[in-house]
Amino acid sequence: MLKIKNVKETFGVAAFITLLAFVPKYKIIGRWETKPSPKGNITGVVFNKDNTYEGYVNKKPFVSGTYRLRGNTITIEEASCNGVKAVYKLIFFSHSDSLRFDPISDSCVERKEGMKRTILGRVK
Amino acid sequence: MNDGASKEELGKLLFFDPILSRDSTISCASCHKPEYAFADNSATSHGVGGIQGRRNTPSTMNVALQKIFFWDGRAKSLEEQALAPIENPDEMNLPIDTALKRLKRSGSYSAYFKRIFNREPTGTDLAGALAAFERTLETSESPFDQWKFYKDPRAVSDAVKRGFIVFNKKGKCIQCHFGANFALDEFRNIGLFNGKNLNDSGRAGVSRSPKDAGKFKIAPLRNVAVTAPYMHNGMFRTLKDVIEFYNDPGKIVPGAINRDSLLTKPLGLTQQEKNDLESFLISLTDKTFLFNNK
Repeated sequence: MLKIKNVKETFGVAAFITLLAFVPKYKIIGRWETKPSPKGNITGVVFNKDNTYEGYVNKKPFVSGTYRLRGNTITIEEASCNGVKAVYKLIFFSHSDSLRFDPISDSCVERKEGMKRTILGRVK
Repeated sequence: MNDGASKEELGKLLFFDPILSRDSTISCASCHKPEYAFADNSATSHGVGGIQGRRNTPSTMNVALQKIFFWDGRAKSLEEQALAPIENPDEMNLPIDTALKRLKRSGSYSAYFKRIFNREPTGTDLAGALAAFERTLETSESPFDQWKFYKDPRAVSDAVKRGFIVFNKKGKCIQCHFGANFALDEFRNIGLFNGKNLNDSGRAGVSRSPKDAGKFKIAPLRNVAVTAPYMHNGMFRTLKDVIEFYNDPGKIVPGAINRDSLLTKPLGLTQQEKNDLESFLISLTDKTFLFNNK
């Protein structure tokens, strides 16, 4: 009986950990876009289930990469910026329909500046 | 029908009208040909009187997001750029004041400017109208876009997908050709300056800095398959020539001065990789050009 209880607990803990690990992923998957800039430009990103993403401006794709989630931390890797990996904290707000990125580590200055300014809304 | 009702429509009328050249024989569109993605199909274009230009005509498509203009970046806005070819003696060779007098004398143009800008034609408004038209020439419906933005994996061939990987990795193209139009707003020396037969110093002519000798604006790549020939001097006739050059620049152009460090060593692309890279570049062609006959 004890053994069964332990197994249940183990599975329970595992399920909870799995849930923790997956909740952010399902929160982020899909299409996100900025509001139009003063010049009318719209920047967006699609996070795919297969841990890839595509960024675009005005429907023009400009960056492809892979991402990994751990809790509310996202690690991204793309061919630009010399393939340097970057880590950001995901900040969801407005009922998780808006998203911004707080840099944790990113040595690519241009990307870091761009990410800091970016606020995305979920495209429904 | 274009009745000049908006700034963009007025700009289009002006873009195609030879009224802005000294002898009224050429328009902006004489060199920026719509069928070649608003670029020219000759190495360098001819201005009034058949004068040969010095540099390859860049496309005026997909300029809305660009921040520097001309191969040497001497214009910082599309408006600033728009007037320069009108005055350039090698191009349209018409002083702006003379151009404005012509437009004022033309009843229809005078009326269009008054309707849109509430005044007679000015240089600022002329530039604004031309720039506004050029900003409408955005393209985002290439097979590549269908694949990446609209998520249709069947929009491109396996060769294109492999070519995109070469573009991003082994080819190192992405290091400069990054962004929505596949170009950073920067200048690079790719090794087409040797101070002898290749003596256009590019950006250095504007910045007056010897470090910039041989640097040119990174060319955007959308519709690149229809904008041959290539480079600032139009010296490469085909995309294959361009890829061969980048694969081993020193072999094609020996003795280059200050070639960018990204291009120090040959890339070592296989024939398959070169073909795939070309397929990828062709996939950046908007459907306008894929389905329209030239």
